[in-house]
Amino acid sequence: MEVAEMVRKWLEIAKAEFFVLTARFKAQRKFFMSIMIILGVLWAAYFAPLLVGLVMDALIPLTQIRVLLQVMFPGFMRAVMLFLWMFFLLIPLSHALAEVKIGQWEILLANDVNTRDILVGTFLGKVPTYTLYVLFLAPLLLAPFQLAFQVSFLGQLLIYTVLTLMMLTTIWLSNVVGAAIQAKLGDSPRGNDIAKTIAMLMGLITIVPVLGLQLFASQLSAILGMNVFLAFPFTWSADLVSWLAITFNGISLTASQIANFQSILQLDLLANGLLVTLFGVACVGIGFLSTERLFTYGIGVRTETIRTVRHENLILQGLYKISPSSFGLIIVTSLKTLFRKVQNLAKIAMALTLALILPVLVVLVYGQRYSLMLSSLLPVTSYGLAFMGVLIFSGTTFLESQNQLWIVKSAPHGASRFVKALIVIAFLIALPLSLIPTIEITVMMGLELFQFLGLFANNYFIVCGAALLGTGITSLNPNYEDTKSPAHQKNMMTAMMICLFVTMGGPLLLSIITKRIIGVPFETIMASLGIVGEGVAQGIITTTSLLVIGGLLVLVGIRRLGRPDA
Amino acid sequence: MNTSLCIKTEGLTKVFGSVQALRELDLKVKSGSRFGLLGPNGAGKTTTVRILSGLLKQTSGTGAVCGYDIATQRDAIKAATGLLPETPGLYSKLSAVEFLEFIGALNGRNREALHRRINRLLAILGLEGRQDDLLESYSSGMKQKVLIASTLLHDPQLVFLDEPTSRLDPAASALIKDLILILAEETETSFFICTHITSFAEDVCDVIGILNEGRLVIVSSPQQIVESMGVKDLEEAYLRIVGGKVEGRALLAWR
Repeated sequence: MEVAEMVRKWLEIAKAEFFVLTARFKAQRKFFMSIMIILGVLWAAYFAPLLVGLVMDALIPLTQIRVLLQVMFPGFMRAVMLFLWMFFLLIPLSHALAEVKIGQWEILLANDVNTRDILVGTFLGKVPTYTLYVLFLAPLLLAPFQLAFQVSFLGQLLIYTVLTLMMLTTIWLSNVVGAAIQAKLGDSPRGNDIAKTIAMLMGLITIVPVLGLQLFASQLSAILGMNVFLAFPFTWSADLVSWLAITFNGISLTASQIANFQSILQLDLLANGLLVTLFGVACVGIGFLSTERLFTYGIGVRTETIRTVRHENLILQGLYKISPSSFGLIIVTSLKTLFRKVQNLAKIAMALTLALILPVLVVLVYGQRYSLMLSSLLPVTSYGLAFMGVLIFSGTTFLESQNQLWIVKSAPHGASRFVKALIVIAFLIALPLSLIPTIEITVMMGLELFQFLGLFANNYFIVCGAALLGTGITSLNPNYEDTKSPAHQKNMMTAMMICLFVTMGGPLLLSIITKRIIGVPFETIMASLGIVGEGVAQGIITTTSLLVIGGLLVLVGIRRLGRPDA
Repeated sequence: MNTSLCIKTEGLTKVFGSVQALRELDLKVKSGSRFGLLGPNGAGKTTTVRILSGLLKQTSGTGAVCGYDIATQRDAIKAATGLLPETPGLYSKLSAVEFLEFIGALNGRNREALHRRINRLLAILGLEGRQDDLLESYSSGMKQKVLIASTLLHDPQLVFLDEPTSRLDPAASALIKDLILILAEETETSFFICTHITSFAEDVCDVIGILNEGRLVIVSSPQQIVESMGVKDLEEAYLRIVGGKVEGRALLAWR
């Protein structure tokens, strides 16, 4: 009887977790998930290899690149596994921390639920959703190598088993770490703020290997090929997959070829298999043994520390002196809420880091040529800065809940004055945000003063345009602190797409339009302006488009937000 | 005695899809009075407050608040009224003083004009020792007090209070009760209070309306309601009108 009850408890928790993760499909969730898993299996087993094979044959016939694929396979597999490992470790962790669940734990613990049941239940509830990621994502990465080695059916089955085990171990680990962090932070506004910050940073760390894979696949493979990485669990899974592909190959690899792989991979199939199994068992064991400690949480950050406001800093005092009106006061208080939230500071730091990394990557790839800076660096940096503007100035930064919006709207012209204050703040913050990457590019490229000023103007107006865009879209469809909400995702996606279109796709559209109307493609007109003229014209077109589109959206957004709800 | 009306509605109706939240509300509230709107959850109290304070469009019907039309003069209504929403939307990273400065600024007041008033309000509400602490460290009751201060800050003619004492301890509830009574008496501020707590409504309000399933069932003084229903207090009258009284045996039927 006791066993039956225990089983039911973790199963019920797993069901609840599964229902939360698939909430958008409501009553059809079981049907939808079953269909998706069937499609995923078909995709992994048949359609993905077929599609990848067709695409590869269309680009470069497999016979020509088979040897190359075989050579880069072990290193690339480690890079892929590093990405998958980070994905399964950090994404569930990031999702868990975006919403601290101490309140749910209290309900479960008050109902005499074993702490191990909570850990097992929340873990199992996540498995179906993340299995879909493995089924849909992994075949795309693995198919070229499966084709190159012509891996047998049994070999493929074993490879997907290893991948699934790796996923399960990593999600389990993520679950344990997430529980520990949540328990430490507690359910409080400050704990939530810190948790959301960590969640955001996790997202950033996951992006790094993806960027690495896209831009520096060969360098990354070479780095990961070093023996020091034999100490990392993702290497064991990667090498195990490599050995399975080699062992179950259909191309009759010779003994010397296999010896070659042995010298790269160092550890053999059995050793890697043993390490992967031991790591999995250790993770589960540590998780089980530490549950009592993990779920013992403090009273929460709220009661532990009370933060008291002392004096206003000189910048805020100066701002209020420049504008000593009620509007100035709205700007000053909004700035305080912006900079006192750790998650906002993290967001700004994250956006700035990306804006600083992009020019370095472009220079590394294309070299320090001024002509290339205008043709390659400008659009990439512009998109990076626009992305940064959207990321920082979308609604989550300023409004915590709909109740705050009610308060703002209950003042006469409250919504309009609030949005206008946000625009002023955005234009102020855009100054350092655009200046820092501009200085970086100026130093890297050795630009003259007038070039620096031109580039700064371009970057500043890009950030301002993106900020207008982010604010306008959010005013039309207000979203709050919940970054998982459909409104937030829709707003971010819309703003990103407009930025991408204006900064990267705009010239293409102009080319089609000018060719149709005057018979001359846009790039020919631009080329006739010379390198500098082309760069300036490109900058003016991009910034003006962003400012006009963003400005219009803000105007419509203010009107919409000021109206009473229907 | 002031005989002008601060609220007047005719046939006010609000429909959300298939749900009729408010049905043909005809209401007259005198200036300087303390009107209590009682009703069960989902009866339409918050919808009424949101329409009257200019935050929500009515589906049909007309109305005026402080002499301003609810369909065309919403900003004038917002300037003349104060609103305590049902769920607090405080800024966790501002102190009480900074939050009140923000609300004052949204209502067009600058810092110098606000400071003395903020300090006095916080002192009356017993928050003077914690006024510079961030609101994230406040208890629910303290947050409610800050919100009540924010509704009074710009000296409104009419104050809408949606569940003002739901998160307060008995001492703080008594304080709010006294504050409403003295403000109504000394400044002729009108109050429109939505509440579940019948004893609070009985003590504070001079007129009470009971809303059930979007329809205003009765409007009268608490004493007249009790007398007309032949019961001993307002709670009993309320339960008679809206239902919800469950017999003792039925209460244990789930076991």
